[in-house]
Amino acid sequence: MSPLTFNIIRQSTQRSAARRGTVVMSNQASTTSGDREPIIPDRTVAVSPKKRMIETPGCFMYSVKGSVPHFTPDTLRQQELGGVSVSIEHMLQDHQPAGFDKWSFSLSKFLNLQDFILFCDVRDTSRYFRVPINTDRYISMMTHQGVRQLTLEEYLKIVRAYAPDIMATFTDSISDLELTEQGKLLGSSTGQKRVRKSVDRSLKWLDQILKERQGIDTLAEDRVKGQARKKTVGEHQTSHTTNATAANSNDIVNEAISTATTTTTAKAWTDVSVFAHVGGAQIEQERIRSAEETAKRQGVDGFIVDTLTLPGTKDEVLNLLKISLDHLPSEKPRLVYGMQTPEDVLKSIALGADIFDTSYPFQLTEGGKASLYSFGPSSPLSTSSSKRWINLWDEEHADKFVPLLDGCECYACKGGRHTRAYINHLLKAHEMLATVLLMSHNMHQYSKFFENVRQSIQDGTFEQYSDSFMEQFGTEPERTGEIHQAQAAVEAALLRRNRLDVLDDIENAASLDKAKATAAAEEIKRQKMQMREARRAKMKEEGLKRKLQHDLIKQQRLNQEIESKGQEEN
Amino acid sequence: MKSALKWEVLAKCSTTKARAAVLTLPHGPVNAPVFMPVGTQGTLKGLTPDQIKDLGCQIMLNNTYHLGLRPGQELLDKCGGAHLFQGWNRNLLTDSGGFQMVSLLKLAEITEDGVQFESPHDGSLMLLTPEHSMSLQNSIGADIMMQLDDVVSSLTTGPRVEEAMWRSIRWLDRCIKAHKKPETQNLFAIIQGGLDPELRKKCIEEMLKRDTPGYAIGGLSGGEEKDKFWRVVTLCTDLMPREKPIYCMGVGYAEDLVVCVALGVDMFDCVFPTRTARFGNALTATGTLSLRQAKFRDDFRPIEEDCDCVTCKSYTRAYLYTLVTKETVGCHLVSIHNTAYQLRLMRQVRQSVIEDRFPQFIHKFFKDLFKEKDAYPKWAVNALKSVNVDLLAGEES
Repeated sequence: MSPLTFNIIRQSTQRSAARRGTVVMSNQASTTSGDREPIIPDRTVAVSPKKRMIETPGCFMYSVKGSVPHFTPDTLRQQELGGVSVSIEHMLQDHQPAGFDKWSFSLSKFLNLQDFILFCDVRDTSRYFRVPINTDRYISMMTHQGVRQLTLEEYLKIVRAYAPDIMATFTDSISDLELTEQGKLLGSSTGQKRVRKSVDRSLKWLDQILKERQGIDTLAEDRVKGQARKKTVGEHQTSHTTNATAANSNDIVNEAISTATTTTTAKAWTDVSVFAHVGGAQIEQERIRSAEETAKRQGVDGFIVDTLTLPGTKDEVLNLLKISLDHLPSEKPRLVYGMQTPEDVLKSIALGADIFDTSYPFQLTEGGKASLYSFGPSSPLSTSSSKRWINLWDEEHADKFVPLLDGCECYACKGGRHTRAYINHLLKAHEMLATVLLMSHNMHQYSKFFENVRQSIQDGTFEQYSDSFMEQFGTEPERTGEIHQAQAAVEAALLRRNRLDVLDDIENAASLDKAKATAAAEEIKRQKMQMREARRAKMKEEGLKRKLQHDLIKQQRLNQEIESKGQEEN
Repeated sequence: MKSALKWEVLAKCSTTKARAAVLTLPHGPVNAPVFMPVGTQGTLKGLTPDQIKDLGCQIMLNNTYHLGLRPGQELLDKCGGAHLFQGWNRNLLTDSGGFQMVSLLKLAEITEDGVQFESPHDGSLMLLTPEHSMSLQNSIGADIMMQLDDVVSSLTTGPRVEEAMWRSIRWLDRCIKAHKKPETQNLFAIIQGGLDPELRKKCIEEMLKRDTPGYAIGGLSGGEEKDKFWRVVTLCTDLMPREKPIYCMGVGYAEDLVVCVALGVDMFDCVFPTRTARFGNALTATGTLSLRQAKFRDDFRPIEEDCDCVTCKSYTRAYLYTLVTKETVGCHLVSIHNTAYQLRLMRQVRQSVIEDRFPQFIHKFFKDLFKEKDAYPKWAVNALKSVNVDLLAGEES
């Protein structure tokens, strides 16, 4: 029995599939890791237990390296949201995820998130970083140290050690880059083949995950098969012989499998709920197949539709989302990636989506913006305002001693404590409190938005208010990558400031005794080194992009080779 | 002159010159000895005012030079001062702005009028006079404001030191005259005179005649030998009236704080704890942890076992290792801890003075921090010896 339950409180009776519900964890967050006995005493202070719940439509808080950006544990708890999502690719430190090998507690304890529902996926859930394609053995991901491959076996090890509340399945997602690299693949036979393969792979991985969760070792077969194949491919290349070695390699593989299947079963980890990715790229029948096949599996607790990799206009993408959602059973929650702006969220909710993430308020914050939008009748602003946000970099706010939004109850605005003028000052002074306050406001407004949406579904006014929201606020302007003028000025001044910083440090250094002055000088040196390294890393990244495309083509060739060999073998 | 503070000494150490006091300022009481964190531009490096308050901070610094440039005097007036501007309803102290001119701006030239410097924005020549500094600090509205002084490097010798000393006295007179809100803001004089005991004596004698609400020891921490530094400090505290708070500017290393308290200093400030936090360095009673180092990768202890700050209650060193110098949160978390560390240290110092066991505290403090007696800084040993604490002669119990 999974500890996760999804209750639908109200289904919209009007012209949409919107529904209101709750995702509730019946257990306490796991504190111990699935595999190991605690070897060190637990030193962190327990957070007071509360009911762990996400009201839907709602969202997971997006995190970077396991921290919701700009929030310390106390400021995080000023938010009303009940879940956090963590991406494994962020957690990778050197070659292992942080705290993975020696830490004997769960990830939620490591991140001090025991009072939240913790969701784990491999890739970043809000942005898609292009990586070389996946294979039967592994998927690629983008870490701080560059592209890395992760096998299902490694992922499951991580999941068992981390023991999150909910894990996403391993999935072979295809980016449009992959498709265009192969040449206009939309509708072409190779493209369809690739998509079909991705659906098959994801389903196979799903089956393995579900079995593994019951304590059945399904990976042993893969393991030896992989090793055997590697061996035979190697022989193949060196011996140049054909039929004899092919038959021989088959024998080796079969033999290996027969020994592998006798492997003992591992420990079950049924406390981890499984959300399954459904895919199918932009091919309708594959999307339907993926959804229907995934839905057939016993033990799937929810579904994920990732729209980040889907090409096309917003309407096309929404249509692809609809195809998936229409073929999923309604009694389980649906998590959607890539639908982040309020209007996209509303459209997705109307299609039957339940859970999103908070990357939208994060992005607003990074751009120096503060939310003004609101949903439903309780709008604190007069209905005449159609601004969804204001940009605090704008000089017009420099003397506005008013809250970001009148009547807002967030930490920054409450009681009129922090003003637009102050935040404008903090941004220009490049002070980190700016993003802390903006994030606090934007997150609060985003969760308020969801709260109002839930109420409207309850009241049967969701469709009506959705329409008026679109009318009032239109759609989010495309992000052009353009930086606000004032921001650009500060960035430019930063170069100068870096010099000033050094002076500043010297000022400080001068006030210290000799030994410490040297330490400070070393710190400056280190800082300079870091700057140099950052520049180098940037150059490297650009080089990496080029290399990526190159690798991609190489990888595909290799894949085709392996495939054709596989066909020969059969 | 008028004063807007109350200074009550609660206890005096029976061995050293340390004292525990309550300094009551317009925005509430301050328990002294006190360390004041530096919020240069009207914010303490990513911490919210509530977090700063939760750490037990009762007074924070702002820099006049920075606030004068941005948001500027006009906006400060419009908003009603720096307290309201940054949402901080406890005490603030501002410097005069002169130190930054001299240290940051190479082209600063000091004349009898004031400090002439090149604008960092357009390169035009600007002049900071005692009157201008007072006007700015009146607009900021700090509970304690500092006079504009003629700062010379503590390594300077010769007639320039004496000139600066006399000029600082003349500028103090101009500051007193220009200070518009003596009922709500306290002006502190800054004692100059370099390393010369005679000049220091003369300066104190003159400045005491002006009867400002408090005094600061200036012109130190400029790279002079520590052995000379503490001698000047102790000389000044000896000559200063005991019914006024004494502030030693720019001092913030833990051992410096403990020694200076023993020498009779009440107030300190330094950017060090928050600055070093940004490089991932966490302060502890047993020394600094550089959390960027790989040895913390699998260290699942909090930064400091007994620390009750939100960082230590929530995270291990291993997790902080993944965050510091990479995520802003890493910065905030270590800044919170370092500020908590400094403030806790001062609370412990104060409590031990109240309970009259400060000498024992000093012994333990140095033992924890330096472990071996050989490692004790010589100047600290000498300084403490001058106030009857012999660090090298066995522990007092």
